[in-house]
Amino acid sequence: MQLSKQVVVGSPTEGITTLIMPTTVKDVITFAGSFLGGALYSPKTNRKIAPITAAMLDKGTQLKSKYEISNLLEDVGAEVNFSATQHHVQFTGFCLKENLTIVIQLLGEQLRSPAFSSKELATLKTRTIGMLDQSKEDTKKQALIGFLRNLYPEYHPNYRTTIEEAIKQTKKVSKKEIKSFHEKHYGLSQFNFAAVGDVNPTLMNDLLEDQFNGWENKNITTKNLILRAHPSKEMEQEIHIADKTSLDMYLGQPIGIDREHEDYYALMMGIYILGGNFSARLMQTVRDNQGLTYGIGSSLAGTSFGSDGYWSTWGTFAPNLLETGKKATTDQIENWYKKGVTSDELKAKKTTMTGSYQVGMDSTGGIVAQLLSNAERGRSVEHLDQYPEIIKGISLDHVNRAIKQYIDPKKLTLVTAGSFN
Amino acid sequence: MSHKSKKVHNDFKFIQSSGGIEEYKFKPNGLTVLVLEDHSAPVATLMVTYHVGSRNEAIGHTGSTHLLEHLMFKGSQNFNKEKGNAIWNELQNIGAQINATTWNDRTNYFEVVPSEHLERAIAIEADRMRFAFLRDEDRQPEMTVVRNEFERGENSPFDVLDKNIWATAYQAHPYHHSTIGWRSDIENVPTEKLQAFYNTYYWPNNATVTVIGDFEKVEAMSLVKKYFGKHPHSSKNIPEMYTEEPKQEGPRRIAVKRVGQTGVVGVGHKTPEGLHKDSYTLQLLGKILADGKTSRFNKNIIDKGLATSILMYDFPFRDNGMFISYIFLTPGTQHQTVEDVVLKEYENIINNGVTTEERRRAVAQTRAGVAFSRDGSFAVASALNEAIAIGDWTYYTTYMDQIEKTSNEDIKRVAEKYLIEDNSTTGWFIPKNNEAAQDAA
Repeated sequence: MQLSKQVVVGSPTEGITTLIMPTTVKDVITFAGSFLGGALYSPKTNRKIAPITAAMLDKGTQLKSKYEISNLLEDVGAEVNFSATQHHVQFTGFCLKENLTIVIQLLGEQLRSPAFSSKELATLKTRTIGMLDQSKEDTKKQALIGFLRNLYPEYHPNYRTTIEEAIKQTKKVSKKEIKSFHEKHYGLSQFNFAAVGDVNPTLMNDLLEDQFNGWENKNITTKNLILRAHPSKEMEQEIHIADKTSLDMYLGQPIGIDREHEDYYALMMGIYILGGNFSARLMQTVRDNQGLTYGIGSSLAGTSFGSDGYWSTWGTFAPNLLETGKKATTDQIENWYKKGVTSDELKAKKTTMTGSYQVGMDSTGGIVAQLLSNAERGRSVEHLDQYPEIIKGISLDHVNRAIKQYIDPKKLTLVTAGSFN
Repeated sequence: MSHKSKKVHNDFKFIQSSGGIEEYKFKPNGLTVLVLEDHSAPVATLMVTYHVGSRNEAIGHTGSTHLLEHLMFKGSQNFNKEKGNAIWNELQNIGAQINATTWNDRTNYFEVVPSEHLERAIAIEADRMRFAFLRDEDRQPEMTVVRNEFERGENSPFDVLDKNIWATAYQAHPYHHSTIGWRSDIENVPTEKLQAFYNTYYWPNNATVTVIGDFEKVEAMSLVKKYFGKHPHSSKNIPEMYTEEPKQEGPRRIAVKRVGQTGVVGVGHKTPEGLHKDSYTLQLLGKILADGKTSRFNKNIIDKGLATSILMYDFPFRDNGMFISYIFLTPGTQHQTVEDVVLKEYENIINNGVTTEERRRAVAQTRAGVAFSRDGSFAVASALNEAIAIGDWTYYTTYMDQIEKTSNEDIKRVAEKYLIEDNSTTGWFIPKNNEAAQDAA
């Protein structure tokens, strides 16, 4: 299935790139888009300004109240959601074909002229603080925050604030700040838009042109990342959360490279063989043979847009099995590091990855996500067709060299959160 | 010979067609087959739904259906580690999305595969339908895996409150216990019990095979015949679960107190079985109350800063269900305040009904949801799986017709009938003071 032959690439107005893929699915259209202006573009003193600005987009425009917006969408069963990632303001949505015009008109209005009402901001802040409070007892989230705070310095894209810091920052966000953030950052800076389903590319481009023609390009550029991860070091941290029956554990270290590096795919493959899916080593041993955990896996993350990423293994254990679980996990990591992966494993995981890529095309949502993330990285649609070939081309020697070069089992950071025995 | 001229084998009896999906019965062993060709993507989904769930369990072996589901991945006669073709490896190595789930009324196993590999998925599912190992040496390590799954659930205030509300509302009917089961049953159920459970319920005449996606129908059905056709019809009848819940005669209340951060209020009311006509109406009422920013709860609870989120569900089950609203409180909000708002809104609907605008909006939301349930072979198979579970797969294809027929009066009537105090079970999750939390060492 050659995606590049099915995707219509367009530019309805200067600054917007569209990727439209008509499929045989009936009536439904799924879309997503983004532009630069995520959390990293918040003032250094308050990282919450960007996400709260994005969250305010569905709380009313200069022409419509929050309820008028909701009525328009819900009357036709459509949905549009806004969020901020580290780098981008993102929107995702779906609608029936017959309602596309209403939805895209509204999208334009919400992005370009939000109301930013003081009352709505106050309610949003109360809810956000409530949700942050809830996450204090989320063992997995707490373990990840602790893990990343040990790996990266403040202001690095992969650094995470504590929940208490996030609550403090949320309380401080003012209407003036979000209005100013919107004025400075929202516009056609690397604006990508993907849509898949029962969609006519010409109509979609015309609608987008109507809505966004003349919207200023704020000339935001991808952040130059100067900060680097802390050097790897062996350390352990426990985060105590009372009355929990299962703990979450993260262990790993920074890898020093981003996803554009020539070793990225080889290292990704090595880590996938260790813990990328159920048939990978960690699930087969720590779960399937030893019964120590419900879930365990490993992955590479935080490598986008020039960021020096990290590899990690996550696992969940009952308090009385934690020490055995940790030992079983680190034994596997040491064995993997020492002996490398086998050609049979590499062969199997290559077909896993290329097959998964095909299976990911099963729904409009799956294709939209692929198209948008590829475009955000500045890659052509053809790159998506090349992906299976890139995977097939990874050599055993390269994978094992990458493991030796980027992993150091003697310098792992390990953070657990929950109730300890 | 062209595909068009091929015919489904005579061993398959055509039963009915609805929404483009065809139902066949494989006459030699009673297997039901649902099939839909869809060439949108080079992907196919195979799903096997066994008509057995945690409603078929009793005290001492709660959670067995789910534990058995886990053991079904430990190998079968022709696919196992010893032969070097274990189920996970065989399927994940081709990029398949593979898993299984258990719920009140059904257990389903599924594979989403690149379409050229459909035969492999069919061969594996057919093999473990009757030839699963289910060894005691596999149960031991898998029991601790499942127990950890239970423990992860217990970490969540919502999960704990939900289990308690169901256990209080349902006293006789097995919906009393959650699908994961009670901890002591997970730990102690003997392997022989699981084997007996398997030998009672895992038969072709107690299963539906659903095949959706990019294949040629006649070829896919000949693969179903080739592999599932090896199995005989069960020699004994599949036992019926006959326990009925006695009529509730007064409101019930529970509280769960644990160290935590956030209070939760759950207000539940018993509802009829999923195929009852009132079930559709209650689902529409649920949308009016809690789905979307214009919903009543969103306006009266979220927008007033009383809660961070609302989770309302009314899943249609084979037997009776629950219409439950869960409200996750913002810091400082009192449980009683929110419970009062919920009950006042129910009373308002009982007295004054809903507006036509509200109903039309809920219908439109449902229509879009139904359209999206056709987005991809896995989405279709999943929706069919739940319809099969409640007893009629055409529930999925005729759902929208039933929703369209609902009137304002119907909604008022079901509110009057079901959302009454004597039919209610209310639960509060009350967070205890938490000095240990966030104490990083």
